[in-house]
Amino acid sequence: MGVVLDKLPGLLEKIPGGGILVAPIDAVINWARLSSLWPLAFGTKCCAIEMLMATGGPHQDLSRFGVEVVRPSPRQADLMVVAGAIVKKTALRMRLLYEQMAEPRYVIATGSCAISGGPFMYNSYTIVRGVDQIVPVDVYVPGCPPRPEAFFWGLLMLQKMIRQGESIRRPGIRRKPVLAALPAGVTVQDIQERMRAPLEEQNVVDVAGAAAEKPWAKKVRQWVKKH
Amino acid sequence: MSVQITTLEELTSPSRAASSSLSIQEYFLNMGPQHPIAHGSLRLLLVLDGEIVREVIPVPGFVHRGIEKMCEHLTCRQIVHLTDRMDYLSALSNNWCLSRTVERAAGIETNERIETVRTIVAELQRVQSHALWWGVLGMDLGALTPFLYAFRDREIISTAFEETIGARLTMNYIQPGGLMFDIHPGFVARVKEVLAHMRPILDEYDALLSGNVILQERLRNVGVLPAEKALAMGCTGPVLRGSGVALDLRKAEPYGVYEKAAFDVVVGTVGDCVRMEEMRQSLGIVEQLIDSIPAGPHMTVKPAAKIKLPAGMHYGQIETPRGILGTLIVSDGKSDKPWRVHFRTPNYNNLWAVTAIAPGCKIADIIAIQASLDLVIPDIDR
Amino acid sequence: MGEETLIPRVLAAEPSAKVRDDAGGPSVEVAPDRLFGLMQCLRDRPDLAFDMLMAHTAVDWLEQGRFELVYILYSTVHGHGLTVCASVPRDKPVAPTLSGLWPIAHWQEREVFDLMGVLYDGHPDLRRVFLEDDWQGYPLRKDYQDSDMLELPQ
Repeated sequence: MGVVLDKLPGLLEKIPGGGILVAPIDAVINWARLSSLWPLAFGTKCCAIEMLMATGGPHQDLSRFGVEVVRPSPRQADLMVVAGAIVKKTALRMRLLYEQMAEPRYVIATGSCAISGGPFMYNSYTIVRGVDQIVPVDVYVPGCPPRPEAFFWGLLMLQKMIRQGESIRRPGIRRKPVLAALPAGVTVQDIQERMRAPLEEQNVVDVAGAAAEKPWAKKVRQWVKKH
Repeated sequence: MSVQITTLEELTSPSRAASSSLSIQEYFLNMGPQHPIAHGSLRLLLVLDGEIVREVIPVPGFVHRGIEKMCEHLTCRQIVHLTDRMDYLSALSNNWCLSRTVERAAGIETNERIETVRTIVAELQRVQSHALWWGVLGMDLGALTPFLYAFRDREIISTAFEETIGARLTMNYIQPGGLMFDIHPGFVARVKEVLAHMRPILDEYDALLSGNVILQERLRNVGVLPAEKALAMGCTGPVLRGSGVALDLRKAEPYGVYEKAAFDVVVGTVGDCVRMEEMRQSLGIVEQLIDSIPAGPHMTVKPAAKIKLPAGMHYGQIETPRGILGTLIVSDGKSDKPWRVHFRTPNYNNLWAVTAIAPGCKIADIIAIQASLDLVIPDIDR
Repeated sequence: MGEETLIPRVLAAEPSAKVRDDAGGPSVEVAPDRLFGLMQCLRDRPDLAFDMLMAHTAVDWLEQGRFELVYILYSTVHGHGLTVCASVPRDKPVAPTLSGLWPIAHWQEREVFDLMGVLYDGHPDLRRVFLEDDWQGYPLRKDYQDSDMLELPQ
């Protein structure tokens, strides 16, 4: 995760009282990351018009969230916005692009095609039913296509996840925020008490491990070797 | 019998370059599916001799979802939402093509109100689609500002659509037998706002980009497509009309209420970008129709009715902003699901013109050619 | 020039063609070995002048054991359209290529080869266009089996 950040927690533990510094350093690093996400525009279909082009337009302005520099090259991007259906031919290239992005890297799956295959789920012989079969996804934004405002909601959720869920102590492990609508008569404290232990277990994701386990990781190695 | 099946690997193997008649070795450059100007996911293999392009080999298929196979398992009404997703920038025209084919085959009559509203929304979508083409043309050639202008104006039209249709991009509005919903009470006022806004904007577009001397120098005499070649390569729409052939289905085989509206078919001489003038003509059509939408029901068949097509082949065509879209439905007469559906898409037939006009151009000209062909890749792949 | 005069002229060019009435417009059917000759007449004769091959596709009639090739032609000179059909047997689906007459046929035939498996005799570059070169099977055939294809439960 970078030479400096890898060694930093170890160094800090050696200094007496150095453990206190980890939290402010986390806060600064996470703030820097979430405020300057550079998307890789991986738009294949209709969602690309709404999610990538219309959100960049003047009515819904994407750059106010810091997501200004849309890069076509994965080497310069850290957020992959998957907008559109992925078919088997594209899945190999997409996996390669994901592997070429530098860590920490984030994936937002927008539109129902990227979440589960969408309208093409049944009777299509080429579609990949859900981008999470190829790469680990951080945020799902449903819709067909989602409104730009829905995309911003997903983006803000991703930013919250970066702010609260990562630490230099455990690089590559991300905690996802939990959002729920409360039924009447229930307060947030009740839920937090009852759900604390199960959520801790389920809601922590080892992204690098999840990325390596995807079936397309092996397929892409074979394809690259062949070509 | 000489049927030989080749593969892409054979075409791009090094031995091919070694055996070519050029004394300089040609090399392959891949403008792959992930590319800022790919307009979707289209792979172009360029065979280059220095900076000059000798051959272009387009490799589509990166968005091939098998829509035609899926249609064999869906009823006619369910297929409409899949047509949206082929050429999403002219979703209403795609819906109209399928609806018109089904209506003519099953003998369903529509009324004047339905046809007028269909014409109005289809022409507004034509303006929206050409505005996006204009913005993306600038963006591909390096001018990023027109993109913002185009999307500002697209939003105004999208808002007018959203109030009546409910969606901004994938409309699913024009159904066999009529329209999905009746028009909103504020529809006429909104469309008039759009008209008042767009007329002076088109002059602003010309002042900003299309009249700009730098853009014109980049596009003049680049990738000229002669008329006979355009016809033989199956091009339709603004690509064909720019080459000088005046084929516009709105005049040749009128549908909707195009016969009532007076407009000109815009024809170019040497591949001019006819889309700017087409936008003005579309605004004129909407102006003539918006004040006199007749009263009546918005749907002439019950939404839950099963539409069974008689046995045989049924074909219908429509002029979309990109060209002629044709729908061929083959029915065996027994079930309400078609036996075979084939879409003759304008973009699949316009794409291959690039193999005829690219040789001899430079790499930067390829980008200009692709932008001026105005391709939407999911329409190629279906 | 209306439909009344078009069909007699087409039959004059190719007497073995049969007129069909189930295509919604003027339509004829020929045998595959007469197809190229008919298409050449349709393109070259000035009173027919079909200068555009609008669409070409194939229909799989599984029980009848044939592929029906459908060609939709249009003439910008006269403004008339024609549908031409030809059937090839399913176990030996070979048809003549029309890419010498209309260049767009080159790619329309590649699409039919890719999805249906019809072979075109004399085609300069018969290659799959949408699917990968090593894809097994032809998806639009009615007997195409694919374990990846999820069927909607009825």
